[in-house]
Amino acid sequence: MTKLKVGFYGITGCAGCQLSVIFQEDDLLDLLELVEIRAWPFIKDVNDDETFDYVFMEGLVATNEDKERLLKIRKNTKILIALGACAHTGCVPAYRHFTLQKNYAHLLYEKNKNISDVQPSPIDSFVQVDYVIPGCPPSKQEIRTFLKTVVLGNIPKSYDNPVCTECKLHNNGCLLEVKKPCLGPITRGGCNAICINGGLECWGCRGPTDDANLPVMVTILRKQGHGLKFIKDRLVTFAGTKMPAVRKLVYDKNNKA
Amino acid sequence: MGVYTLPRSQLHLFLAVLSKRSPVYVPVKRDAIRFEPYNGTIDFSDNAYFPIKEHFFRKRETILRFDGQKLITVRPTSSKKIFFGVRRCDLTALKHQDSIFQKQYKDPWYKAQRANTILIGYHCATPPNKYCFCDGMGLEEYQDLMFYEQKTQFLVEVTSVKGAALIKKYRRFFKKANKRITDADKHIKTRKLRKRDFNAIYDHHAWTAGVNKCLSCTACTAMCPTCYCYELHDELDTLKHGTRCRIWSSCQVKAFTRIAGNHVFREQREHRFKHRIYHQIQYFREQHGFDLCTGCGRCIAACPTRIDWVSIANKIT
Repeated sequence: MTKLKVGFYGITGCAGCQLSVIFQEDDLLDLLELVEIRAWPFIKDVNDDETFDYVFMEGLVATNEDKERLLKIRKNTKILIALGACAHTGCVPAYRHFTLQKNYAHLLYEKNKNISDVQPSPIDSFVQVDYVIPGCPPSKQEIRTFLKTVVLGNIPKSYDNPVCTECKLHNNGCLLEVKKPCLGPITRGGCNAICINGGLECWGCRGPTDDANLPVMVTILRKQGHGLKFIKDRLVTFAGTKMPAVRKLVYDKNNKA
Repeated sequence: MGVYTLPRSQLHLFLAVLSKRSPVYVPVKRDAIRFEPYNGTIDFSDNAYFPIKEHFFRKRETILRFDGQKLITVRPTSSKKIFFGVRRCDLTALKHQDSIFQKQYKDPWYKAQRANTILIGYHCATPPNKYCFCDGMGLEEYQDLMFYEQKTQFLVEVTSVKGAALIKKYRRFFKKANKRITDADKHIKTRKLRKRDFNAIYDHHAWTAGVNKCLSCTACTAMCPTCYCYELHDELDTLKHGTRCRIWSSCQVKAFTRIAGNHVFREQREHRFKHRIYHQIQYFREQHGFDLCTGCGRCIAACPTRIDWVSIANKIT
């Protein structure tokens, strides 16, 4: 059996998602034996970026350099996986989509004029993405399961139940009941409700479920007494680009963002 | 089988003594009310937020392990448990779950958890919250002892052989009472769900108000004392070793009806929303002759938007 040719790349991002792959502790060596790592610039000196079966792409496109790199890799791989929230939703950097230019223009690469700026966007704005491993950072378990599934020749399943499903399995009381602005009901689970288990409300890092009921979520947060600015900020922090309806909320005539 | 009294002041002593023998699960309030091993506090201010089903039909059950080609069956383990303060809706719900997991199918994992269980009920003198609608939902006797709270004492009704044995063992706490518990004493007056053929109103526009407020968050099915759907997962530890687990599932999400080829039968939220309600009060009755729902109202109390489907259904003429 020929080994799958795999690459790990990072464009603009914190490299935390690649660390999630590396931090597989007990399983890492087993996993690496199953695949051929052709390229991993983060930890390898010699990287062959010609032909891949699977490429895991971390980070988002924020410069022209990122974009060129992404387009090139897409051409050289059969399957492209968005690894982590930046690649999937644009995460925090994509917040720029939801604020006025005057709020950030003076902060843009003033000292590094050679960087050509692109509106920070998730990778699916530029290329076709085959699979997504969401989360900020993605769960180690999920990465491991993904790799094992493809090595066995199976099709990976994505988890699209809301965070609440797993939250209830962990016996948590509902944070919405104690007036915490939890985005669990509209956010994709698969994280084992790790934040809520620790008492922190869900911020939606894994992006919305495919049938997220955004208007009702906003109504709940309004009833809790949160202002529109707060609600908008909370909704767009991690996954604004995946919730086009938020735009209407943001640019509503009553809202001066 | 007899009625006894227990002075209110003796309740905690009784529970403490009872706890020495085996864990006694009582409703305990922290952020929400859960059934937890007795530890000096007990709360009857509201119905438990989490039903007791998780102690029998567990949230996560390992069915088998596999090691290469070898399958290793995981033998269910069993331990003695006493539940105190279970309300009538939850007792009836447990009866319904028993009929599914022990009569219709023989489920060894459920059976193991369910064996050696003593159920001590707590009668609601008044409905614990405004969402209850158990009146007319066919509540049944399914406990070993039933506690009726009064001003200075509890009336304790013995309803099974197991219950009588328990009283006998702890006879020093109880005084024989010269009283009979009548059907009127057992009755709980709540609002009612109007019984009818719900198939006739499936397409009624009134449901839309509920559907539009639904987040498909699955709180209703998780908190329901009777919902019994689960899914099976194979989880790989390494490529050769792993486990097959069963985990609670919910009809409120698309994954529930996703089949090969990525087809989803209940793609629309409306159909998923109605499916839960209809299974509880229509489809189950068609198959088994009684409603699955026992009217505890948790699906409304736990719903982030408090979708009161009972009111919606009752208003449809």
